[in-house]
Amino acid sequence: MVSVAWSVAGPAIGAAFLASLVEVVEAFTIVLAVGTLRGWRPTALGTVAALAVLALLIILLGPLLDRVPLHLLQFIIGVLLLLFGMGWLRKAILRAAGVIPLHDEDAIFASESAQLAEAAGQQRSSLDWIAGLTAFKAVLLEGLEVVFIVIAVGAGHGLLWPAAAGALAACLAILAIGIIVHKPLAKVPENTLKFGVGVMLSAFGMFWTGEGLGIDWPGQDIALVVFAALFLGVGLATASALRRPTVEIAR
Amino acid sequence: MSIIVEVAKELLGMFLADARLTTTTLVLVAIVAGLVLALRVETLLGGGVLLLGCLATLVEAAAREARRRRCS
Repeated sequence: MVSVAWSVAGPAIGAAFLASLVEVVEAFTIVLAVGTLRGWRPTALGTVAALAVLALLIILLGPLLDRVPLHLLQFIIGVLLLLFGMGWLRKAILRAAGVIPLHDEDAIFASESAQLAEAAGQQRSSLDWIAGLTAFKAVLLEGLEVVFIVIAVGAGHGLLWPAAAGALAACLAILAIGIIVHKPLAKVPENTLKFGVGVMLSAFGMFWTGEGLGIDWPGQDIALVVFAALFLGVGLATASALRRPTVEIAR
Repeated sequence: MSIIVEVAKELLGMFLADARLTTTTLVLVAIVAGLVLALRVETLLGGGVLLLGCLATLVEAAAREARRRRCS
């Protein structure tokens, strides 16, 4: 049994949980729109089918990665995490700075409902099929990023199951809240979560890319926390700097 | 078939949202790999180049996109 430091396991589980929270909220909005308009049976079928495909991906890809030499795996996953994490962080910075609009779950719910209503007018006979497929696509596409994060933060240090548990916990949390409120979860601070996940993934990417190249980070796992603090600080400072010109123009 | 195309687009989009950010990061990693593995430079120096380079790349990518959107 490989013992894993909590300084690595904690951020890995946290990253999987928070990233899943963001993606599940997005998928939930579409599933709710489909279920409300077209009934829950085809929606549930589409959702379960997509979850099955995603679970299959983790089950198939996870053990396969265990066969790749650790340094090579850490390097490849580290580079992918850097690209993915910095991409999220860039978008979160632009949203925080007001350059691109925040994600609006109410607007997505309305748009998805309108699209389904339009489809209802055109193809009455295959409505259940369309509803199931819409739910399937939403859960599959949003879930792909979760699968990547679970595999990426989990595979390098034998944390696949804890990371998957973090993702599952997020799914259950959103499902429970969704059942209670029964409307789009518009009040989730999505950009703050995305900012946090982008920071964590970039920090993991930096750490593992370096480890893969044979770099001995000072403080070993503690370096992860330093990287996260640096990405957070630079991200917040950049968002703040990009926000200023708009305020001056507004005055 | 359209689902497969959308899945492929989603997968590509995960890493290629900003082509210049992706390219610069990959070039930076290649430079650091060259420094550490081929030229046998002190690994910590390579790590520093990677860290500072990534932070600079991130700031440049966000600033460039903000400029582009405000100009258009």
